[in-house]
Parts: sequence; structure tokens; C-alpha cells
Amino acid sequence: MNVEKLRKDFPVLNKDLIYLDSACMTLRPRQVIDKIIEYYTEYPACGERSYHKLSRRTAEEFENARILIKKFINCKKDGEVVFTKNATEAINLVANSFEFSKMAITDREHNSNLLPWHKFKHFIVKSNEDETFDMNAFQDTIKKVDLISFVFTSNLDGYTLPVKEIIKVAHENDVVVMLDGAQAVPHKKIDVSKLDVDLMAFSGHKMLGPSGTGCLYGKRHILDKMKTFIIGGDTVNNTTYDKFELKEAPYKFEAGLQNYAGVIGLGAAVKYLTPIIGDIESHEEKLWKYMRDNLDVEMVGVDQASGIFSFNIPKMTSHEIAQMLDSSANIAIRSGMHCVHSWFNSRKLSGSARASFYLYNTMDEAKRFVEEVKKIIELR
Amino acid sequence: MICLIALIVFGILAIFSASHRPLFKEALDCVGRRLTFRPCESKLDERLKSKITGVLLKRNKYAARFVYKRFEIISWIFLILMIGSIFFSAQAGYYYARYGNCNGPDDDGFCIFDPLGTAHEPGCEIDNPDYNPEDVTLPVVYDDAVSFGDENAKVTVIEAGCFECDYTRQAVPVVKKILEVYGDQIRFVYMDFPIKSHESATKLAEAAHCAHEQDKFWDYYYVLFENQEKTSNEELIQHAEDLSLNIEQFTFCLESEKYKSVIDRDFNNGVKAGIYGTPTFFVNEHVLVGPKDFNEFKVLIEQELNQ
Ligand SMILES: Cc1ncc(COP(=O)(O)O)c(C=O)c1O
Repeated sequence: MNVEKLRKDFPVLNKDLIYLDSACMTLRPRQVIDKIIEYYTEYPACGERSYHKLSRRTAEEFENARILIKKFINCKKDGEVVFTKNATEAINLVANSFEFSKMAITDREHNSNLLPWHKFKHFIVKSNEDETFDMNAFQDTIKKVDLISFVFTSNLDGYTLPVKEIIKVAHENDVVVMLDGAQAVPHKKIDVSKLDVDLMAFSGHKMLGPSGTGCLYGKRHILDKMKTFIIGGDTVNNTTYDKFELKEAPYKFEAGLQNYAGVIGLGAAVKYLTPIIGDIESHEEKLWKYMRDNLDVEMVGVDQASGIFSFNIPKMTSHEIAQMLDSSANIAIRSGMHCVHSWFNSRKLSGSARASFYLYNTMDEAKRFVEEVKKIIELR
Repeated sequence: MICLIALIVFGILAIFSASHRPLFKEALDCVGRRLTFRPCESKLDERLKSKITGVLLKRNKYAARFVYKRFEIISWIFLILMIGSIFFSAQAGYYYARYGNCNGPDDDGFCIFDPLGTAHEPGCEIDNPDYNPEDVTLPVVYDDAVSFGDENAKVTVIEAGCFECDYTRQAVPVVKKILEVYGDQIRFVYMDFPIKSHESATKLAEAAHCAHEQDKFWDYYYVLFENQEKTSNEELIQHAEDLSLNIEQFTFCLESEKYKSVIDRDFNNGVKAGIYGTPTFFVNEHVLVGPKDFNEFKVLIEQELNQ
């Protein structure tokens, strides 16, 4: 992976900017932007419904994006990739259409994988003292539930749960496993077939895709069993005044005209990522290690190399750190609770400063970051 | 307390720019919360503090550190300075409306509302004066004074002036306006106070008296100030000619120094009254030193007329 070469694809990086907020939203390469422009300039029509050439081209590009994603996460069957507007919608879709009696989540879930479950009977698997996943607590909980929805890689500290083991234990107990893959899918090769995960939500905008795109992966037999959540145009083959005949998955979940530009752009993003996806994680960990070795700060969460460097400086708020980095050196990081309020509140922390990396970040940027944070530390 | 500063600054900006209105509302909310001892919810204070520190950090880390550590105190200082400056601006505005002078009655200093500052430069002064406006008293007005209007008018305005003094010249438009507006209600007395350092001042005063003899005082007065650099006898006679005076009479009057003693008497009389520079005006008992704004006269004259 040649980072310097890749950087040239990102128009916004021409400016004097160090972007360290990719866990929130990634930058987009020219290829994705061009693909969106191609849709709007060459075939800006609806997919499926019409017989004209424009519409056929739209449908073709749209389904082609689905195939690219299918290959990207290596699902075996057709109809296992559902387009949503983001990861949150994918999780809500499952919460509202998958039948279960009790479920479990971890204690470090993003609000998007917490709030949809509030109205159901849910258990919380607490972390170990060192904030890693507590396998014993999990073993106890798994007996009481028939669905778990766990974060794959956490957006608060970049920690990745031992999902392989979790899935194995869950399946031994006949529990369906959903993963919130928003922070995992963009950063490493995920093979859903090998993982044997049942359901997985992820976002397009965290993997170079356009905003307003997301996916739900689901094993075909599970998607087939799931009821619908939002229905209407394009989800049915036929209707009468009081009955309707649903399409099969994934179409029964994709109600109304779709975000064609977005999904087609997401296809381009996945195409861009496919050859390099295996190199991203180790690149990010190198940056993390450099920062960890050179900065004397309080680490937040699991103190392990990842794509997210989450820290605090004593006697300063995270917002102060973020604002100062922005005005002093044009370094963009995130601050606060990162939509994981429950975790921060239970630990009595007011938040953290979070630098998150992606394929376009360089060691030079990490060095600049370290320099600037050191200056901020000295302010006190 | 930075919020309060932000409130005032954004409040003013918000009048002109819509994009500052949300910030103004935020600041308003913050101030409200701080007044009730709750933390500012939108963290505007924190944001401003770190933004300012960040910008400083780019330039000088010591300055950034200084500001970061003492931010609350610095904001307080700025707040006090700001309230102070708002107060003084308002006071100056009031004084200007009331007295035509930003600095209050009888004060000479720079006034933003009078950017040329003409109204408040000190007048021409006599040598080494120990006087100040408070010591100036009404001079005796002799029967032979250069006087216009009803002798029993309620208000007498006296101008002690010097024809060679640039400050007296600056007061000419105001004098003109006073005569225009109040000429028929007041008595106006012109009293000579030729500053000795001005070599020709006495001679010019004599010429004006000679013109007065022929009832052309004001015409001659204006011509003298318009041509302040012309001080030779020929030039003074030329003015008289231009104003169609009887030249023989005028020339004789000037060359015989007929009014010199009167002028010297008036000068000494002025010094006794404490006058130390020109122009010095009196509106009844009120003293105005230096060229003043018409407003100041207006306020005093009306006040006296209405008593
Ligand atoms: C771990 C995790 N889950 C879910 C989400 C929500 O993703 P989306 O914005 O696509 O709904 C995020 C995004 O911040 C996330 O980091």
C-alpha cells in the first residue's frame, strides 16, 4: 500500500489539513466522487421500474455495487446484502423485524446499538477491569438469551472483540449473532463466511463511501425469516386493497426509490478498497504505536494498538484539546463521548480526545500530531 | 466571563451579520446560566478559550500558556475595560449632545464626535500664564466698547479675540452663526486682546476700530481673518478700499494710532480679569476658553435667555 500515492486521490488532502477523524467519517477519493457525478450526469434515473436504457443502467450499476460488497465481505449466497442509509438503520431493521425473546449487548456499545434494544429485555455483558471483553461474564449471559448484538470494533478506543470465539460460543448455545461492524469492515478484511456471523451492520461513509449509505449483511435464511420494518414501493410484487405479496430478501427491506447515487458511489469505494484492505490495519497500528511511545497522556479504554488513539490530558477537557489542535495546527480530531455516553458515564469520564486513522494518514502526520499535543500538555 | 464579552461583541456583530446571531444567542444563554451559577451548557466559554489559546499556540507557546493559565482573570480585565469604555463613550455622547463637547463642560481634549478637534485646541496664549479657566472673571465693559445689539439684553456675549491668532480665526464661523441665530436677542461685545507675541495684532485691532468708526466692523472683521497673512498698512488700507470705506478717514485713523490706547487699556483690563489666551468667550458669567462648538454656545445662551 503506497500511502503517498493513495493520498493524491483525495482532493481535500491538498489543503493544509491533518484529518484524524475517520472513525466518524472518512474522506472520499476522486474515484468515488467521479462515480457519483457519473450517475447524475449519465443515468440519473430510478432502477428497476422502467424499461428504458437509463433505468436499466441504474439498476445494473446498483446491483453491481451489491456484488462488489458481497465479494468484499465474502458472502456466499445472493440476496444477503441489504442497503440501508447507515449502520444505525441496519441495526434498527434487525431490532424491529427479527423475532427473539431476550438479547444481550456489551457495555461499550455505540448509541446506535444500544437505543434500538432499550425496549426489549436486554442483558449487558460487562468488560474486564482492563476494559477487554470478559469471556466468563459472556459465558454466563449467553445461556439467558437468543440474540446478541455486539460491537465488532469499538469506536471509543479501537478495541476489537474476540468475535471468532464469541460467535463459536453463541452458536453452541443456539444464539443468533449480530455484529456492529461500523468500525471493523473499513479497516480489515472481514470474511463473513469464515466468521460465520449471522447478521452484521456497517456504514458506507466510514469506508470511503458517500454519506447516507450503509449495509446490513444477513445469512439468507435469517433474512428470509425476518419480517419487514419499512414497507411500500419496491418491496412488493403485487398488492390488493388489503393484501400484498412481498418480494424476497433483500428487496423486501429496501422500500421506496433508493439512494442510487450513494450506493453506486459505495460500489466505487469498495472497488477502491478491495486491493488494499489487508494492509490498512497494520498501517494504522504503526501510527498508534508511534503516538503511544512518544506521548505521555492518559489512555482511555483498552491500551492496545488499533486505528483509534483515545486519550485525555489531566486538567483539560477533551473539547479543549480538540479545539486547540484545530486552531493551532489544523488537526481534526473528535472529542467528547463519541456516542458511547453510557460507557463514559459509568466510568465517570467526561469524554476523550480521539484521533482515528485511515489509509491516507502518514507517519509525518503522526509526528506533527505528537508535537502539537506536547505543546498543549505544556500549557498546563 | 468571556461569555459576557462574547455577548456584547456578537451582539453588535449580529446586528450586521446573520451568521453571528446563533453565536449571540449562545452567548446570551451562557451569560444567563453563569448568572445563576450553572455551567454554560454549550461550552461556549471553553470553546473560545481553547480557540484563542490554539491560535496563540501557532505563534508563541509562552503567550499561549500565559493566556491559558490566566484566562478567567484576563477575561475579567477585558470585561471591565470594555464596560468602562462603553460607559465613557456613552458619557461622551451625552456631553456632546448637552455641551457640544465630549469631555464635559469647560474641558479641552480630543473628542471623537468632533474629529477635526478644532473645538478644543487651546487658544493663543499670553506669555507664561499661570491662569486657568476657573480663574477667569467677567472683564469690565467700557462705554466705548465695540458692541452690538440691545445694551439691556438678557444675554451678553463677549469675545476677547486677537486678529492675528489662528484660534480666533477658527472661531469665526461660530461667531457668525451666533450673530445669525441670536443677533436680535443678545448683546455682542468684541473686546481686543492682542497677544503680544503676534507682532501686528495691535495694528490689526486698530484697523478694525477704524472700520467700526465707519460702521463696517463685521465686514472688516471677516476680511481680516480671511487674509490673516496680510498685515502691512497698504494691505489694511486696501481692505478698506475694497469695502468702500472713506479711505482718507481710515488712513488717518490708522496712521495716527488713534485707538492704540483704548486697545492697550482693553488688553490690560482683560489680563486683570484673568484672560490668558484667545479666543475667550463669555456668555453672561459663563467662560468658554478656546474655539468651541456652536452647540456649547447654544446651550448656554438658551439657558440664560430662559432665566
Ligand atoms: C461502532 C459504531 N456503531 C454504529 C455507528 C453508527 O453508524 P452510522 O452513522 O452509519 O449509523 C458508528 C458511527 O459512529 C459507530 O462508530
